[in-house]
Amino acid sequence: MDSRISRRVLRILASMALICWAAFSLTAQDPDPNSPTPILLSEMDSTRALAQRPGKVNSRTDLLRSVSPAFSPEEKMELFVTNIDLMDGEGADAFRLYVLDRLGRQYRFPVLAIEALPGAAGIYRVTALIKDEIKYWNGPAADGDVFVFLTWRGLSSNRVKLGIGKIGGDLPEDPTARPTPYAAKSGRNVSRTEDTDAIGYRWAADRKRFAEQATFGPNRALDATLQRFGLRAWINSQFNMPYPSATNPYPNTALQPVNQPTNCNGNTSDGELFPTCLRDSYSQYQPQTWFFKEAFYGDAQLKHRVAWALSQIWVTSGNDIQQGRHMVEWHKVLSKHAFGNYRDLMKEMTLNPTMGEYLNMRESTRTAPNENYAREVAQLFSIGLFMLNQNGTLQLDAQNNPIPTYTQDEINALTRVFTGWSFCTVAASCPNIVAGTVNFIDSMLLNPGITNAVQNRHDIGAKTLFTYPGSAATQTIAACPPTGAGACGITCPTSGTGNCTLQSGFTSAQALAGVLAYANTSMDRAIDNLFNHPNVGPFVGKILIQHMVTSDPSPAYVSRVAAAFNDNGFGVRGDMKAVIRAILLDPEARGDVKTDPNFGKLREPVQLLTNFARTFNVRGAAGGQSDGNFSGTRVCGRAEFNNMAQIPFQAPTVFNYYPPGYGIPGTTLLGPEFAIMTTGTAIARATLINRLTFVAATAPTTTPTTAYAIPYPVSGVDCPNGTSFDFSEFVALSQADNSGGQLVDELNRRMLHGTMSDTMRTSILGTLSSYGGTTNLTHESRVRQAIYLIATSSQYQVQR
Amino acid sequence: MEESRRDFLKKTGCCALGMASLATQMHHFGTISAFAQKAIDEGRPAGGENYRALVMLYLDGGNDSNNMFIPVHNDSQVSNYAAYDAARGGVFGLALSQTQLQNTNFNVPRLGNLTYAMHPSLGPAATGAINNGIYELYGQGKLAIVANVGTLVRPLSKGSTYNSTPKPYQIGSHSDQKAQHQTSVSNTQVFTGWGGRISDKLTAVHNPTGLVPMITSIAGAQLFTAGQTTLPLAIADSNTNLNAVLNPQGFGTTPTGANLARRDAFNALRAQDLGFNYIEAASHVTDLAMNANAALQVTQDVTVTFPNTGIGRQLRQVARLIKERTDLNVNRQIFYVQIGGFDSHTGELNQHVNLYSQIGQAMRAFYDEMVVQGVSNDVTLFTLSEFGRTFNPAGTGTNVGSDHGWGSHMMVMGGAVAGGDVYGSKRPNGTGDYFPTLLMGNNPAAFDDADTGANGRGRWIPTTSVDQYAAVLAKWFGLPQDAATLNAVFPNLQYFPGTFSQLNFLP
Repeated sequence: MDSRISRRVLRILASMALICWAAFSLTAQDPDPNSPTPILLSEMDSTRALAQRPGKVNSRTDLLRSVSPAFSPEEKMELFVTNIDLMDGEGADAFRLYVLDRLGRQYRFPVLAIEALPGAAGIYRVTALIKDEIKYWNGPAADGDVFVFLTWRGLSSNRVKLGIGKIGGDLPEDPTARPTPYAAKSGRNVSRTEDTDAIGYRWAADRKRFAEQATFGPNRALDATLQRFGLRAWINSQFNMPYPSATNPYPNTALQPVNQPTNCNGNTSDGELFPTCLRDSYSQYQPQTWFFKEAFYGDAQLKHRVAWALSQIWVTSGNDIQQGRHMVEWHKVLSKHAFGNYRDLMKEMTLNPTMGEYLNMRESTRTAPNENYAREVAQLFSIGLFMLNQNGTLQLDAQNNPIPTYTQDEINALTRVFTGWSFCTVAASCPNIVAGTVNFIDSMLLNPGITNAVQNRHDIGAKTLFTYPGSAATQTIAACPPTGAGACGITCPTSGTGNCTLQSGFTSAQALAGVLAYANTSMDRAIDNLFNHPNVGPFVGKILIQHMVTSDPSPAYVSRVAAAFNDNGFGVRGDMKAVIRAILLDPEARGDVKTDPNFGKLREPVQLLTNFARTFNVRGAAGGQSDGNFSGTRVCGRAEFNNMAQIPFQAPTVFNYYPPGYGIPGTTLLGPEFAIMTTGTAIARATLINRLTFVAATAPTTTPTTAYAIPYPVSGVDCPNGTSFDFSEFVALSQADNSGGQLVDELNRRMLHGTMSDTMRTSILGTLSSYGGTTNLTHESRVRQAIYLIATSSQYQVQR
Repeated sequence: MEESRRDFLKKTGCCALGMASLATQMHHFGTISAFAQKAIDEGRPAGGENYRALVMLYLDGGNDSNNMFIPVHNDSQVSNYAAYDAARGGVFGLALSQTQLQNTNFNVPRLGNLTYAMHPSLGPAATGAINNGIYELYGQGKLAIVANVGTLVRPLSKGSTYNSTPKPYQIGSHSDQKAQHQTSVSNTQVFTGWGGRISDKLTAVHNPTGLVPMITSIAGAQLFTAGQTTLPLAIADSNTNLNAVLNPQGFGTTPTGANLARRDAFNALRAQDLGFNYIEAASHVTDLAMNANAALQVTQDVTVTFPNTGIGRQLRQVARLIKERTDLNVNRQIFYVQIGGFDSHTGELNQHVNLYSQIGQAMRAFYDEMVVQGVSNDVTLFTLSEFGRTFNPAGTGTNVGSDHGWGSHMMVMGGAVAGGDVYGSKRPNGTGDYFPTLLMGNNPAAFDDADTGANGRGRWIPTTSVDQYAAVLAKWFGLPQDAATLNAVFPNLQYFPGTFSQLNFLP
């Protein structure tokens, strides 16, 4: 006994030490976020790639030759790269080889292997297959030179020429290219500069990019905080931040009956419970306006952002869910576990009444099973359709086909585990019952309202769940024995609609208790069975990367995030904090400059709006805070979000506004948000920006030097404050520099974290000259002109 | 001389800028210049031709067509009303009564003139009816039914070869089955739809100077509409006029001064920084929109009254574009419209009254408008849905619904259609001419249920593959019938012999 206690004390002390160490190490100084830029070696005197067919590299002189051959389609070739700095385990799946042909068409060749070249320090051999994997064009044609460049951690290498079919052809010269031949010391200087005397997180472009990834948009206060604390410390502080903000609590509108009562039907003549009863109860007005206010002003930005991403995985929708309060109760589960453990999220969401209503689990019973939730929890919320490698790529069978994760049989089995749960209606177990309403607050209950065990709705038969390496402990659920240990005290027909039969020696109450215990055990085992599936880390990790950082992450990045999901470093699986750190601090996410042509993501409409709003000091039209009115069924601004195909809390289906697997049309390049980027929505985005930037208020008037746009004026109960922006600091920049240079440069830093190209800058400055004079109004107009052009540009629509 | 790393890096130049300078000259995918290049590659049209359009009406969520077309005969050899009534749980389940069906009966010549019925809401009894619905069109020979269409990789029959025959991936998954219907490829994921691939093949031939893409979706981006070289137009429904549907606000109708400068710069920026794929893709979509916007500065409206429903407004917008076809320089068009709500796990009976009323009314209005426009023989509307639903109901009482199934019945409507009949019910092994056999699970005669065992719920093994159904539509539309073209557009069609002779619902 004593020794057991002391062992336990020791274990506790040891884990406390680990935690202290972790806390200390996680608040350590952030390293330089910039990775070195890879350099593909060229021949001695040209920009032609140093390339060969697979074979030995016998000596350094092999790296100095100038006789690279032309290659045939489907052939393997080797290139040589330097100036990279590989982490442990970083390999071929961290690299991609892009190809541009003479027509400007882009291709990508799979990188099969990368290895350090013995005897040539810092030089790596890259093996690639001459076979396009983007599949937009047929080709490239075997008719001469193409450009190739390697990408790694969001950075592109130099471009070198490669002959396909033959050397030569019509490839235009790249005037900026220079030979990059092997030099004995070229690979050695990969150590990164460390400025030890500078304080804070100095990398301004990376700071703003980070804010775009981790929050609803950068603003001055956030940028200053990030600079002072660094990214790691900021993330840690976010993990402990109260949410939602004290000034913006979750809307707590009372539950209302399913059938609108006469005192809450919008008709004031028969006496409303309160004037906005219909709007607040039977629409998504409250959660939607709450959501935008939290995005604009909340301090717990990271939790709001992660919950928003999770809300697009664990989808429910106010299109089908009746009351705003119902959606609030669903969102609470998302935010509660956003920094918790994914398993807890899985279980609590499974029993969430809003989800139960949305995907029909609350009405699924032993005699009338409904497979909707069982199917979607597997397909969309946890493991996906096909067996994945840890890096998110598909496992393939001997015929090169993907391997399904399950068949109808497993869905049927999981469906049966989920039978018998429904709305919480028993006073003793359900503290939040409101008479006359459906209880959308308390978790669902097994067999609610059933007092006779023969009416049991839970399927107590044996089930075989998902099978995968390591599933032995969770894949089977035995039938509940009618008698003996752990008995259910009943037998139930295996098909049809008949009642169960009570076993002798059992009371109905005993049997119901037995069924409840069995159902709870089964539920935990089924959740464990899904949660421990090796797909969950790469499947969920990749979707979260796509929501926060980049649409088509390298497999290596997915693998690092999945590793954090699988084990947070302390043996815990599913730790969301570890996953979030891994996503946001990964070298592929970080860095001042990203040159990979495939880095970044199209901003979804919500992010487009919130980034704009936070950059330009969003406020109420008459001062104070915005009322958050941008979307919803009864709200100003609905049209814009409807036209852009993304109304918060109103996803069109359980597949969200856009699916994670959506590609840029006709290609294999992932770009989920492009599913809602059509000709129609593209114009709707420009129209939204026009409204935010130019449309003036009718009332009330405000001081023109502080508020320049009042797109949603103060009018009536739905828009008490309106929403406006403050462009005054930019007017001052325009006044200070009549060329517009200072203005555009500051907008570049604030909106594009410095990625504006010279051509874009020139184009914008050119239009500013169309305003003459130096009056105040002229400068206001210049500011709006510049902001409109940047905010509508594809360069801003894409977060990169 | 050894060089420093600094010099070395300097010499490599900035890849991003270098790429941009090349890419400004030409987009690297999905561009107008690529479009034109394809036109040159594939030859110009002979010129002077007729017009044809295909309209896909997608029933999203999985339509329980078991209650769209219902046997009312009592033939003892063929699944009859009694079998339907028994399996669908009687009047307390999903079964419609003979009385409910008495005004929408029809005969099926290809099924021995046996009598079937449509859901009453497809006829004049529709909720909020403004026309007689599409029931009448069957009698007029303008509407055909294609029975039990679904995703298949190879012809499939229950029996000894069933387990060894390749099957579609993820039967029962909404997203996957929808994708397979829209790509016509069920053995693997592909990134283009069959509408998009038809457009790739025919745009240069038939619409070489078209001012809008061949494909228009009134329901957002869809896999069906994605081609390799062509993108669709995606616009809002008829609540927005054509001249406003892609018109960005703020420039004014005839911009001058600062507005003009802003619009010109707005356009100019889209030719920059195209070396970045996502920027390029976003700019391309916006380019497409701005070009189409210029062509759509017209006011065009329909003559016939359309229902003011989502699907009614979508089809009305389609009808406007068809009316505008000459000025848009298009000889071939493909449209995509969609109505959701078919995922009837619960409350199906009420949902069907609502949904079938909407589609019956909207389709009829559209057909009548095509007659008025004089193009009813040139426009064919057809339905698809990701799957049918279990014949065995899910739940009971007022909440009764059905779960995900497999094959389901489709409709084809238009003047060119050999209507008034049901096609495609013969099994691949040549047996049957059923509708399908309405027997489930381990019943020895349950030839069409993919489920086996006592709990079989009636998920019909398709007797016609999507590829076959689509290929017949594409042939009428003008897709060349050489093997290379057919294999490119419908890669698995080659495994389904006899398609065009059996499914001759279109010439």
